[in-house]
Amino acid sequence: MAESSEQVSRPVAEPGLTGFVREAWLLGVRSLRRYYRVPANPISTILFPLIQLFVFSQLFKDIVSLPGFTGGERGAAAAGAPAVSYLDYLTPGQVAFVVFFAVAWSGGNLLVDWRNGFLDKLRASPVNRMAILAGELVPLFFISAAMGAAVLILAILLGAHVATGPAGFVAIVLLGGAFGIAWAGTSMVPALLTKSEQATGTLAMLFMPIAFMSTAFVPVALMPDWLQTINAWNPISHVIEAMRSLMTVGFEADVLGRAVVAIGTLLIVLQGATLWAFRRLTA
Amino acid sequence: MTAAADPPVTAAVPDRQGQRRDARVEAPAIVAAQLTKRYPGARGGEGVQALDGVSFAVEEGELFGFLGPNGAGKTTTIKVLATLTRPTTGTAMVAGIDVAARPAEVRQRIGLAMQSVALENMLTGRENIELMGRLHRMPERRLRARVDALLELMNLTGAASRLAGTYSGGMRRRLDLATALVHQPAVLFLDEPTEGLDPQSRTALWEELVSINRAGTTMFLTTHYMEEADRLCDRLAIVDQGKIVVEGTPRELKRSVGSDSVEIALAQTNGKSSFAAAQAATLARLQGVDEILGAEPAAEGISVTVSSARVAVPILLRRLDGAGIHVAGLTTREPSLDDVFLRYCGRRIRAEEADQPLAVGWW
Repeated sequence: MAESSEQVSRPVAEPGLTGFVREAWLLGVRSLRRYYRVPANPISTILFPLIQLFVFSQLFKDIVSLPGFTGGERGAAAAGAPAVSYLDYLTPGQVAFVVFFAVAWSGGNLLVDWRNGFLDKLRASPVNRMAILAGELVPLFFISAAMGAAVLILAILLGAHVATGPAGFVAIVLLGGAFGIAWAGTSMVPALLTKSEQATGTLAMLFMPIAFMSTAFVPVALMPDWLQTINAWNPISHVIEAMRSLMTVGFEADVLGRAVVAIGTLLIVLQGATLWAFRRLTA
Repeated sequence: MTAAADPPVTAAVPDRQGQRRDARVEAPAIVAAQLTKRYPGARGGEGVQALDGVSFAVEEGELFGFLGPNGAGKTTTIKVLATLTRPTTGTAMVAGIDVAARPAEVRQRIGLAMQSVALENMLTGRENIELMGRLHRMPERRLRARVDALLELMNLTGAASRLAGTYSGGMRRRLDLATALVHQPAVLFLDEPTEGLDPQSRTALWEELVSINRAGTTMFLTTHYMEEADRLCDRLAIVDQGKIVVEGTPRELKRSVGSDSVEIALAQTNGKSSFAAAQAATLARLQGVDEILGAEPAAEGISVTVSSARVAVPILLRRLDGAGIHVAGLTTREPSLDDVFLRYCGRRIRAEEADQPLAVGWW
């Protein structure tokens, strides 16, 4: 401790992006450790989608013989495309479902930090404010991607196949990770506004109907008109359709493009709201 | 000692018992000038005036304390100084830098340990310290040496690779302190540093705080424990309802509310009349002693008011012994900070004031 009596030359704050990325990464690694060091966390994230994948793929095996399914809902795929198994159809939706459970866990983190003063400790340090929020997004990318990969692997073991091969597999996993980051705000905003973990968990579950209304389980062709209209705007459906296209058809630029736009829009809107709620909390 | 009625703009250089600091001429570590903070009320309510014109200065190397009940504005003051909240009016400088104008630079030079221990339970003790060091951009080589030294200082070397969530209350406090010290801050802010600790851990933490301060870190702490303020602070301000009521060294403050008293118990074995005679004889023997300000009969013997009990007691005993008066017992009492608070605030710091309203959000 003898050294502490001498004054230390203080490094000048790293400007802009380097500092931001570094801080977000440091805080992200910390949040990631917080996640995986409690084994119940990964288990609860992946269990529900896995069960859905396994049970529904057996239960609704023959649903693919309905007219809306034949050759997929897109006309382009209809010509000569091989009949899709319901497992193939269901898997992308379950990769996306992982995200809902991963995200539901995340909002509470900010609350814990806020309540025990960790947030104040960070705010009284040179850490960039945005990096504090970004630090919560880093683990969501890895958790969503890793858990999505686990779902995909199980599906393949059950007999599913990825039309685009290993590259498509990676692309699906990356889409899942990106969707995890984009969707994070649905848990962070309620957490920051209500300051209650219970309310956060409940409010995050309110987004589940949007997931069930998406094309995760059945194609739009089988939906009533009003639901079809909703799905044209449901970002979740666009993300799932892109994964499904990679799974059952191939690399389709327009479908992938729509997913990227959906993810980007979600990210900007939800993180904008999160930033507003964060400022409100820490004003 | 300065009464708050005429706020001190310049603070006297602290007189530090036991050690003299080299008198370098430097800007004070902390200067607060007429700070006010008003929290708006929820839904058109009254709002709270948390700070109502707070001014003080802390010299470099000093251990300065805010003593007062909860709700007095202690935490708000720390939040303003640590750049966590902006004052409604007034200015504050920390390490010579304006907290409102250049908060980023202030943040590089301060450490903060708030009332609630801010640790990541799922990181080990070492990882917790390392994280804060890296966020302060310490080079890895120096960080490693620093973390080892801090673990040693805080007596946590053996528990370094255990998750912080498994630590006891005292260990958590010490680890929190280590995370606030890792980047060697010029000024350390401590909000109720021993809140919720058992007496043993509290005493141990006091020693650590003093040794950190001795090593050169300026400290600003808040407490509602009289003994803590008395034992630790070079200088302290008593705060109540958003104002500094009085400020000075613990000794000055205690002096200001009264003198020491010595209670002499006389032997009662020889019956009532001889007890009265002994009282009279004692009073007679105590005449003309400089240190004695007054003496009067009491139920047990004699009650003596003195300027300093430490000096007066040997003289008293010698005098009475020389006159053959048998002293059965002797107790001394110095004014406490409790008396100081009572005198300046008109009441005592009560336990129930420690209750704070729950923080709730909308819905």
